[in-house]
Amino acid sequence: MVSKLSQLQTELLAALLESGLSKEALIQALGEPGPYLLPADGPRDKGESCGGGRGELAELPNGLGEARGSEDETDDDGEDFTPPILKELENLSPEEAAHQKAVVETLLQEDPWRVAKMVKSYLQQHNIPQREVVDTTGLNQSHLSQHLNKGTPMKTQKRAALYTWYVRKQREVAQQFTHAGQGGLIEEPTGDELPTKKGRRNRFKWGPASQQILFQAYERQKNPSKEEREALVEECNRAECIQRGVSPSQAQGLGSNLVTEVRVYNWFANRRKEEAFRHKLAMDTYSGPPPGPGPGPTLPAHSSPGLPPPALSPSKVHGVRYGQPATSEGEEVPSSSGGPLVTVSAPLHQVSPTGLEPSHSLLSTEAKLVSATGGPLPPVSTLTALHSLEQTSPGLNQQPQNLIMASLPGVMAIGPGEPASLGPTFTNTGASTLVIGLASTQAQSVPVINSMGSSLTTLQPVQFSQPLHPSYQQPLMPPMQSHVAQSPFMATMAQLQSPHALYSHKPEVAQYTHTGLLPQTMLITDTTNLSALASLTPTKQEAALLPQVFTSDTEASSESGLHTPASQTTTIHIPSQDPAGIQHLQPAHRLSASPTVPSSSLVLYQSSDSNNGHSHLLPSNHSVIETFISTQMASSSQ
Amino acid sequence: MAGKAHRLSAEEREQLLPNLRAVGWNELEGRDAIFKQFHFKDFNRAFGFMTRVALQAEKLDHHPEWFNVYNKVHITLSTHECAGLSERDINLASFIEQVAVSMT
Repeated sequence: MVSKLSQLQTELLAALLESGLSKEALIQALGEPGPYLLPADGPRDKGESCGGGRGELAELPNGLGEARGSEDETDDDGEDFTPPILKELENLSPEEAAHQKAVVETLLQEDPWRVAKMVKSYLQQHNIPQREVVDTTGLNQSHLSQHLNKGTPMKTQKRAALYTWYVRKQREVAQQFTHAGQGGLIEEPTGDELPTKKGRRNRFKWGPASQQILFQAYERQKNPSKEEREALVEECNRAECIQRGVSPSQAQGLGSNLVTEVRVYNWFANRRKEEAFRHKLAMDTYSGPPPGPGPGPTLPAHSSPGLPPPALSPSKVHGVRYGQPATSEGEEVPSSSGGPLVTVSAPLHQVSPTGLEPSHSLLSTEAKLVSATGGPLPPVSTLTALHSLEQTSPGLNQQPQNLIMASLPGVMAIGPGEPASLGPTFTNTGASTLVIGLASTQAQSVPVINSMGSSLTTLQPVQFSQPLHPSYQQPLMPPMQSHVAQSPFMATMAQLQSPHALYSHKPEVAQYTHTGLLPQTMLITDTTNLSALASLTPTKQEAALLPQVFTSDTEASSESGLHTPASQTTTIHIPSQDPAGIQHLQPAHRLSASPTVPSSSLVLYQSSDSNNGHSHLLPSNHSVIETFISTQMASSSQ
Repeated sequence: MAGKAHRLSAEEREQLLPNLRAVGWNELEGRDAIFKQFHFKDFNRAFGFMTRVALQAEKLDHHPEWFNVYNKVHITLSTHECAGLSERDINLASFIEQVAVSMT
């Protein structure tokens, strides 16, 4: 910031700063428009310099000048709001304020997209609602969201406001945590942006780590007692603290996102209701899925198969290895049409072995699908859970979506766009469940979703315990590896859902370095699915970076036969995706090629593509993912 | 304007001055004031010291009489309003000591 100063200058500056003059005020007094100056307000200095400086500043054009209008203005004035009081309280040290500004400056010089990703991941890590940022910075929420998720350009001044908030927030949160044990929060607790708005605490939000724990517990017992709930509270808070890189003893620092026993109770109650609802929908669907507004272009061939929906037996899902039947299905498909064929076979690969530990993501997907089928929207929570998974597969093509849904009874996130891909699949009735899935898929387009929903519901017994489990911190990655297979897959599937279906909560999982866990049940051994999934792209590309989708084959037998088509599929489809997607797909091939992949080693990666051709995906994330992938591959190949 | 402009009584002096005397402040003859000479490594340090003192003086609204040549600073403290020593002088002297110690 400062070039070489003579010793005297340094001394004088030091003297000035020591006298209580904040750096901001000093710079202000100098009338220096260079650095982004926050009208920080350090202790008043009666010295003339300040007063004189201020007078001069009044003439400064643009935001800098107006921001400095009065000594009382605070950073937030630059950001448009915060009362001066907060400022004074916050900037206890002029040094610190100056340091903050320096950091903001640095961030401004960097690539906006990278910084945006950093900020976004921070928001996710700490479960901070965008609303809070918007309220303190004065930025437009839509603009902010687009900038963070998709990289929509944002002007420097506004970015500066955002970065300033970011820097401040980090300090605040750090203070919050350090004072957690002391029972007090300094001026701005996480939940409040202004003391005057004390009534508006941030709404509590479940973090992915907590959700994972809860789903696991739900699996064990749907109705925990108070003691169990309390134990879960402790566990969740601990996980949340770890996710944020804080010692669990500082749980109070979680602020508005602190998990309490009541919240756990409500969560369980909502899940029970969700399940009942899904069950109800399943029952309804079973009795006779409405022909639905058959998506004309979508599933032209669907009419051919006469697969009866009833064939889809829920119980079979578990033990059924879709791989084989799917394979045969897949193989036949090619004969009918190239395009669909590929897609058809592709989905087959995606199914995770039934033996795998279920992940809630599947459930969520189910729920989502079910909801689509049922017509009436399911309870919000259902969708929410599903959507949290959605983000992970931006890199996948849309095409095979229908197929995937169809072929994977459990997997559903297939979007509506696929034309006739499902058709050929039906030629062979071998794979009962699969076919059924497909059949039902045909019925509707978004119906594809619907049908999947029904098929999913049959899968009810399949429980997924691993929701997406993003690892916010590098250190956490290794422990996560065992779960990696699970949610990414589901995420992909969820992602595949047509964006117009219900919600599209991309934000939730976006920036995590690895997309979490695949539902094990999703691992259907068919390698062909891998390619299909890989080639799937989300209809709405979110900015989330997601590793590519992998599916490791648990069924050694049918793989070889499927590999070729799978590979082809992959190859074919990849080009249509982002170049970035291609990079990641290669490993996928290799992975799928390993015949004896252990059942639970499904690794889903999706190349993430920020929608408008952001070719520069977060290299860091990718590298992390790459590493991870190779690790997985190595292990699975053993 | 800071208060405490009344001349220090004997008791007060007895109470407060010994501390200052101990660190080198002396009472001047012919004048009710205290005086001390400071030496620094070089002009920069000396002037840095002076800057800090000056800023504080402004804050306290109580200014020293001082002389500076290169690395030496001679400071005389007295209160004009009471024509003698007051609490303001003591305060400023304490501050000066603080700064001097922290510098060089």
